Amino acid sequence: MSKTLFEKIWDSHIVVDEDGRSLLYVDRHLIHEVTSPQAFDGLRLNARKVRRPDLTFATMDHNVPTSDRSLPILDQTSSVQIKALERNCKEFGITLFDIHSPNQGIVHVIGPELGITLPGTTIVCGDSHTSTHGAFGSLAFGIGTSDVEHVLATQCIMMEKPKTFEIKIQGKRKNPHAVTAKDIIMSIIRKIGTAGGTGTVIEYRGDTISELTMEQRMTICNMSIEAGARAGLIAPDEKTYQYLKGRKYTPNNYDELVNDWRDNLKTDSGAKFDKSFTLSAENIAPQVSWGTNPAMTDDVTGSIPFPDEYGKGNPEEVKGATKALQYMDLKPGTPIVNIVIDRVFIGSCTNARLGDLIEASKVVQGKKVSSKVRAMVVPGSQLVKKNAEEMGLDKIFKDAGFEWRESGCSMCLGMNPDILAAGERCASTSNRNFEGRQGSGGRTHLVSPVMAAAAAINGHFVDVRELDLN
Amino acid sequence: MKGSIIKYERDNIDTDVILPGPYLKIHDYAELAKHAMEGLDKDFHKRVKPGDFIVAGKNFGCGSSREHAPIALSYSGVKAVLALSFARIFYRNAVDGAFLLPIEIDESAYHDISDGDSLEVDISKNEIKNLTKNKVYKMKPFPELIGKIIEAGGLFNYKP
Repeated sequence: MSKTLFEKIWDSHIVVDEDGRSLLYVDRHLIHEVTSPQAFDGLRLNARKVRRPDLTFATMDHNVPTSDRSLPILDQTSSVQIKALERNCKEFGITLFDIHSPNQGIVHVIGPELGITLPGTTIVCGDSHTSTHGAFGSLAFGIGTSDVEHVLATQCIMMEKPKTFEIKIQGKRKNPHAVTAKDIIMSIIRKIGTAGGTGTVIEYRGDTISELTMEQRMTICNMSIEAGARAGLIAPDEKTYQYLKGRKYTPNNYDELVNDWRDNLKTDSGAKFDKSFTLSAENIAPQVSWGTNPAMTDDVTGSIPFPDEYGKGNPEEVKGATKALQYMDLKPGTPIVNIVIDRVFIGSCTNARLGDLIEASKVVQGKKVSSKVRAMVVPGSQLVKKNAEEMGLDKIFKDAGFEWRESGCSMCLGMNPDILAAGERCASTSNRNFEGRQGSGGRTHLVSPVMAAAAAINGHFVDVRELDLN
Repeated sequence: MKGSIIKYERDNIDTDVILPGPYLKIHDYAELAKHAMEGLDKDFHKRVKPGDFIVAGKNFGCGSSREHAPIALSYSGVKAVLALSFARIFYRNAVDGAFLLPIEIDESAYHDISDGDSLEVDISKNEIKNLTKNKVYKMKPFPELIGKIIEAGGLFNYKP
């Protein structure tokens, strides 16, 4: 029988399948300092062990400072969480990439970077952006702390089988340096909505996806959760196998595995999806979010919508847009390029990989950040930072007036000192523009790295298609 | 289960407003509860009473997988959230940890229920009685597995 890629991975991981539930085996469990402490407390309380410490990997990313790491952590509550993770990993025998490790970084950046993420595997992590790993053909779910405890104890997760959702993206982007993977996924969410993928695993397909680099595919899969999906998937190909070759944790029998993946890890022709959506990439423009959820997004050439028009007669949508514009302090009809910004954040598990920084640096090279803007680059991992520094990217950013930071989640979710002040407006390469996400009262516009870089230089949004980015 | 309603006529109430990021460092659940809904309603912790229900629109609990969101609501006294629909990770967290009941209601119930109404929820009959308005609404039944986990008192108590 023809099967989708999702069904193949799902079926090959079933431990028990009865009574409307499936118990799935978990191949890799990634943990971090924020959603794991209560899970370890639970294990201790019930005198349980971690079943497979060898399949569990930890790092600290959510609350770590991105400033000088030779200094002590000033925030006591952060320090307590960080020490708790150190203690827990030691007690339960789990590999930890701590704040001083050359492998520290955002959990969804280091997983692939270290070869922990592999095609055809199941991965879970107590973080919703675990969907990122789907770029490698890995079935990856974000989970809460109760499930983290369950996986630590059993190496299994109980789930009801999600539905399948095919999203096909076809055609050539007119200017792939200006119209990025971020713009593709934001266009998709804008069209299918924040609940468009609820209860489904999305498989992204089509020639546009095949052309993307692995880093760009991660940007696409990363934001699957912003459409409500349980996971995002892209079938592995030669780019995938090349990317993972020779990484720190890539298995010794890698070539053998690749041969098997080549044969099996794809959706069979004739396999049926529960749902399908097609998008042409040809006319996608750089995207800018204007509201307080990622679907409230428009082309950079657009204007702030009138709530009545945006809602198309749906009173709840009209109300939502009205409230969003109040929070964002934006007037309907304002051209997006006229929006003046105070802050720029280039970072997060969506857009802080080497390719993102290379592209952004092209916009910045030889220019200066607007005197009215404070801009920062927070590389996704220590390895990204090191590689970028070897290419001289740090110098390009610093010469232009950007702050060049240590790796972590940083201003994406405002758990460390990198936050917006109330009323500040930020062009951000992160994934969520929710109210208060980057700091209480802060206003977030989601954009690609090149759009954020151009906004930093100009002090307002610009259409990066007008720049020479080649 | 009886309680009174705190209603938010909003879709997409995300976990960042239910429990803002800076408070994810708090481990004391009672302390966490003081910040429940703070991103949307600074007075929530003063208004909420033990046994209350929240009523909201579509896609409640979207965004982050932080279990701190249902925990904060639960420890502030909220027994159930009645919404048009839920984001899946929030739904799962609420049930797995037995923090609160995520109950799906239909448009007519959503529009009919007012802030402050007194409600009685009977999950054995999939029925919600509005004691203030003297009306009865249907709730969407829990899927079989979810119902069993709820009955057991959470994922760790559930034995197939």
